[in-house]
Amino acid sequence: MTKARISLEEFKALFPDGFESQEELLGEYNAFVSTFEQLDEATVPELSPTQKDEIFRQSWQGRAQTSPWILTLLDFFRQPALTFALGIVIGCILMSLVLNDPIHLSETAVANESLEIEHTRYSRTYKGKIVADFYSELENPRVVLERAGEAEPPQQTVQGTLDNGEIYVVWNQ
Amino acid sequence: MMNLKNPVPDDALVEAIQAGDRNAAACLYHRHIDRVHRICYRIVSDPMQVQDCVQEVWLKVFRKLGRFRCDRPFTAWLNTVTANTAIDHYRKWIRHRKHGQASGIDPNTVANDENPGNHQLDGDLVQARIRAALETISVNQRTAFVLRYYEEMPIADIAQIIGCSQGAVRTHIRRSLLALRTKLAGKIDI
Repeated sequence: MTKARISLEEFKALFPDGFESQEELLGEYNAFVSTFEQLDEATVPELSPTQKDEIFRQSWQGRAQTSPWILTLLDFFRQPALTFALGIVIGCILMSLVLNDPIHLSETAVANESLEIEHTRYSRTYKGKIVADFYSELENPRVVLERAGEAEPPQQTVQGTLDNGEIYVVWNQ
Repeated sequence: MMNLKNPVPDDALVEAIQAGDRNAAACLYHRHIDRVHRICYRIVSDPMQVQDCVQEVWLKVFRKLGRFRCDRPFTAWLNTVTANTAIDHYRKWIRHRKHGQASGIDPNTVANDENPGNHQLDGDLVQARIRAALETISVNQRTAFVLRYYEEMPIADIAQIIGCSQGAVRTHIRRSLLALRTKLAGKIDI
């Protein structure tokens, strides 16, 4: 070994208050230097040129197995904090949609005057000739004027049963 | 491409590799392969695993180089990839290693006059005992120790590579020094 791997200054910094005298400090330092000399006996065998070439060949060939954008995307979602935050945001959006966007019926929706109107809290049901003419095959048919959302246009829905199954037919006004 | 008097800087090679230049990749590889191998060898501990580990490092390097930005030295980035890959490799290997599956050389075997044939194993014994001593410290301690005293990196750089504070690096080094001194004290004077 040409020079000590650990300097006395670094040794003192690593063990600042472990020694009572300068002699003790130097004795310990020399013991550590001796340990390094022993460690230096463990040489690292070099890779042969063939091994180096093989490692390079395989590494270079293997680099393109996954496209970079996929890796970028995977790395992006591999960050736990980001994934957690994204989950909270998506959850909030879904809760907001569910809780704050009930179906509002427009009071201005106009129905065919020939129909009889039955009001309920959430819907209006129309009964009349149109039902009888066009949907006579349905059992207990009724036409409901409703909106899918506040900003949505009103739509007419025919509800009834056919062969014991419920039928809903929607068409635009 | 290489000129010994004016070697192409790493950054220029990186840019060429990002454009798909295989020769630039070979040049960068041969410039750094020995250091990468040295670090892997000392961290991974098992010589049989080292080549796989080195290949894993370069596979990561070539795959991630497309996103490497030259605002930090390539060598520092490569050291980080190497050390972290070696740590991961060692942890995977240690999980799968069967207990009691020792190397062919018993570290407690010593050469003596009654058993002169063992003298030819002395060199291997030294290696095996030092490897055994290094294996008794944690992989993070070993990494800090190797990077500080074999690669002569500053504490701050090691902290960045391992992902801990400088104080933690000093603690790793202090503990590894004490453990190695205890393990090696008077053991390999053959």
